[in-house]
Amino acid sequence: MDFDLAAFGDAFPRLLPAALTNLTIALVAMTLALIGGTVLTVLRTTGIGLLTGAIGVLISFIRGTPILVQIFLFYYGLPALGLDLTPIQAGVLAIALNSSIFITEIMRGGLSGMDPGPVEAAIALGVRARTIWTRVILPQLYIRILPPLVNELTTIVKGTALLSVITVVEVLRTAQQIANTTFRPLEALLAAAIVLFALNLAISQLGRRIETRFAARRG
Amino acid sequence: MTLDFSVILDNWQLFASGLWMTLVVALLSIAAGFLLAIPVAIMALSHRRWLRTIAGAYVEWFRNIPFIVVLYIFFYGLPFMGLRLPEPVVGGIALAFYASTYFSEVIRGAVLAVPKGQLEAARAVGMSYFMGMREVVAPQTLRLLLPPSTNTAISMIKETSVLSTITVAEITYQGLVVQGATFAPFEVFLTTAALYWLITSAFAHGMHRVERAAGAAQGSQQARHSLADKYLQLGMRRSK
Repeated sequence: MDFDLAAFGDAFPRLLPAALTNLTIALVAMTLALIGGTVLTVLRTTGIGLLTGAIGVLISFIRGTPILVQIFLFYYGLPALGLDLTPIQAGVLAIALNSSIFITEIMRGGLSGMDPGPVEAAIALGVRARTIWTRVILPQLYIRILPPLVNELTTIVKGTALLSVITVVEVLRTAQQIANTTFRPLEALLAAAIVLFALNLAISQLGRRIETRFAARRG
Repeated sequence: MTLDFSVILDNWQLFASGLWMTLVVALLSIAAGFLLAIPVAIMALSHRRWLRTIAGAYVEWFRNIPFIVVLYIFFYGLPFMGLRLPEPVVGGIALAFYASTYFSEVIRGAVLAVPKGQLEAARAVGMSYFMGMREVVAPQTLRLLLPPSTNTAISMIKETSVLSTITVAEITYQGLVVQGATFAPFEVFLTTAALYWLITSAFAHGMHRVERAAGAAQGSQQARHSLADKYLQLGMRRSK
């Protein structure tokens, strides 16, 4: 069998719009994960034993299990518990939870390398804990952890392809649909790989640009 | 709705065979991936530009696409080239290639972390480049290699779950089978997840002991004011 260049080229006009689905899902999940990761990070500093213990177990669980199984747990498991979700909703939530955990770990790494001076100064001045977080720690922290956050976004984009398994029509599933009509799976899949590769390359390049812009402000 | 874990006990043999398949595939593809990573890392560290370009393109390509896409390409691509292999083998090969790109970055990082003077000294006493790398640099990379290799290996153990999509009868696949027969998805996938949790935790624990035995670098933490510490350490135990 020969590689069918025409089938390969014809796949792109359908795959490119599908990539918008991946990007949208990834951005929504990333936003939720940033919020979740930040909340978890703040909660972990409370020092309440039970809470930090529970968060520790959750972190270990999410990091120790495959994201595909987590997606299945949300997609098949939650409806059984009475919570009906569309495939996209289940997928976004599963990816967001998974990513929150990785982001809180990134934030922890960022925090432990941070200069304690400003925090000490704020404590000495009697600044409220909430203000210390919103005005002193978080602004510095987000800038510091920008590179790993961009990396996390590319990981999320890769995760969106797994949603094809739970019937979300994104790039990979679109490629499978194309293959079903053309009987040219390899051509469609290679095209899908190129589209996803380009998407992630664009994200990491954009990240590098923003990074150099903020480089002067990095603590 | 109450959780009923008897469906798990009734199907324990399926889970057990899935566990075995996951362990075998993960172990073999991680080992193959690491071996495959060595020439890639050597190319990436070469002073010849074209070798670096090839290695860089190989690594960037695999690292920027999802494993499930890589797997499908191998699944349809190998028969396309006239190679018909059983699904677990196809999955293992795909995972080995995918893992090799991550391991090659780990190896490259470890070699670069060894001070340049070490190789220069080896060259100065008359060793060839490869001899210096093998006798002087490589032994020093070992303890630097362990922690990131453990992380990569754990990621790859988790990626084996994707092999379920090409009907490799590993844990996730068996989970789908049992869920289809029992309609108890929450119990089934919680159990599935627990099995992976067990594998990755045990692996991490074991590797941690190996690291300690190998005397992996003990990073010294800078001293901090205890109140600032409260914020910056997240109330977690300090890494010693």
